[in-house]
Amino acid sequence: MSWFLKGIRKGIKTEKEVKEIAPWATSLIGNGKFDDCPTKALDNGWNSGKCIFCRKCYPNYSPSGDYRMGSVTRRVPLFKRSFYLYPIDTGSCGSCNVELKLISSPQYDMTRFGIFFTNTPRHADALVVMGVLTDGMEDAFRRAFDAMPNPKLVIALGSCAISGGLFGKGVKADVIIPGCPPSPPTIIDAILRARGEK
Amino acid sequence: MRMIGQLGEFCLYSDRIEKGICPERETLKKENYRSIQGFTFAYGPSAGGLLESVGIDLDTFGEYISDVKVIPYKIRKVRVKSIIDNSILYVERINGSFSASHTISFITAIEEGLGIEPPYEVKIGRIVEMELERIRNHLIVMQRVVEAAGFSVPSFQLLYLIEKVNRVIAKSFGHRYFYGVNGLGSLRFYEEIKSLEEIKKEYKEIYRGIIDNRIFIDRLQSNGVIVDKEGIGPVARSASFKNDARNDGNYAEIYKELGFSTVTYDEGDAFGRFIVRGEEVEESLRILSSINLHSVEYESKKRNNEGEGIGRVESPSGDLAYYVKVNENIIKEVYLFAPSSYNILAFSSSMVKNIFTDFPFNWESFGIWLSEVGVIFE
Repeated sequence: MSWFLKGIRKGIKTEKEVKEIAPWATSLIGNGKFDDCPTKALDNGWNSGKCIFCRKCYPNYSPSGDYRMGSVTRRVPLFKRSFYLYPIDTGSCGSCNVELKLISSPQYDMTRFGIFFTNTPRHADALVVMGVLTDGMEDAFRRAFDAMPNPKLVIALGSCAISGGLFGKGVKADVIIPGCPPSPPTIIDAILRARGEK
Repeated sequence: MRMIGQLGEFCLYSDRIEKGICPERETLKKENYRSIQGFTFAYGPSAGGLLESVGIDLDTFGEYISDVKVIPYKIRKVRVKSIIDNSILYVERINGSFSASHTISFITAIEEGLGIEPPYEVKIGRIVEMELERIRNHLIVMQRVVEAAGFSVPSFQLLYLIEKVNRVIAKSFGHRYFYGVNGLGSLRFYEEIKSLEEIKKEYKEIYRGIIDNRIFIDRLQSNGVIVDKEGIGPVARSASFKNDARNDGNYAEIYKELGFSTVTYDEGDAFGRFIVRGEEVEESLRILSSINLHSVEYESKKRNNEGEGIGRVESPSGDLAYYVKVNENIIKEVYLFAPSSYNILAFSSSMVKNIFTDFPFNWESFGIWLSEVGVIFE
């Protein structure tokens, strides 16, 4: 049987609602200061961008089940119909890379929202930064950003890109997607909000 | 007895370590193949088609590759020389896709150094983690190879399975990449592993469909041949060598009890590596179906207050080992042998005399993760 027919036979696998979410990829709820936090994410309440979801603060803090952790400081509604992302790994452990790739899996199917990956920053609407900004990748990051046409957005994916996490420094971004790593539903939700949806 | 590779100031063998530099791997020596003046094609460090940042310099004079250099661009400083609990947080994040293998190897080395014997249930739990990780990573590698061949339907069907495996891991361990699961004295486990039967059925159908396809086979056969009896992981096994830490590493006895059988192939090319990974997914699913797991807290009774130890496990891409020197609760020294360091050498050697269009299939077939190569321990 041809692959086309094999694909058709499987039926629609895309999920309209988020079905399953990893507990430790959702926002934390709890009280008070926790002195042993390795990234100081609990010094003034819970800081999602610094949190590496390591469970050290459990049971003082526990996962809420709410995956909508992304925050957007600049929206570009122009990208509502099509939104091209250029991923750049500036120093990640690789898990953010896989999670970003999985937004294209049949369960999430990013293309139904008009979200696509592009192979060059010259065709990109947003730069998706993964990992800490290492010395070796700083120049590549700047050059990719400069090569993008306007308007453009920078999306920091995961605690390393947002705040440096455990390993170093992060980047300045218009959209932050907390998590270590963020799950696909968190990524899609933040991307849609960056376009002024939701 | 087999040589595994350089572990800091030691050469690591399957049965011992020796101080000094490992003997050069004769089979991986690059052939001198610069017949006429060519040029260097620089790919990366950031480009479409790359999952991670890496620079690859391909020397060529038109079509054939005369030399390849792989340059890691993302170098991270890892502060592991601290108290054990904190150092585990760093080790978990050296390579997210092999997080369980790294952490278990690291903790095993600490346990050896301090004379701690973890309970049997903990060892079984660790095997469950490593086999789930192997399934996911093999699926990722297979998806990357299939995508490079332009086979969209099986590529998306494999992505579907990767997401399913991630959900199984999350449901049972609370995190899709095993972060926060392993500690010295604990293994966090939430609920019984389910849904593997469905994955098994779907996988079988996709895998058979891919390897029955003549066009796909033609892209991989005779591509990137490596026959190295001292090799590691799927690279060695695809050339019929049964080199596998599941036979001679720290958890070998339990693997034997579980009836583990080593998968091999006899070509040593990209297709052989694909087949080995493909069959290993089925073997891992079989092992997992024979295990019942539950959460374990155990008292880590130390026999020594200080010591040194080596932990070696079979990561999805081959032997992965840590040497750790520990004093009370503080890590004093750490050395790592990452499988990707061997696989980069093997890839570079295998590309000489191959043609340009073979490059993406060959690169993906080695399952290299740059994140575990570019680390400096502090």
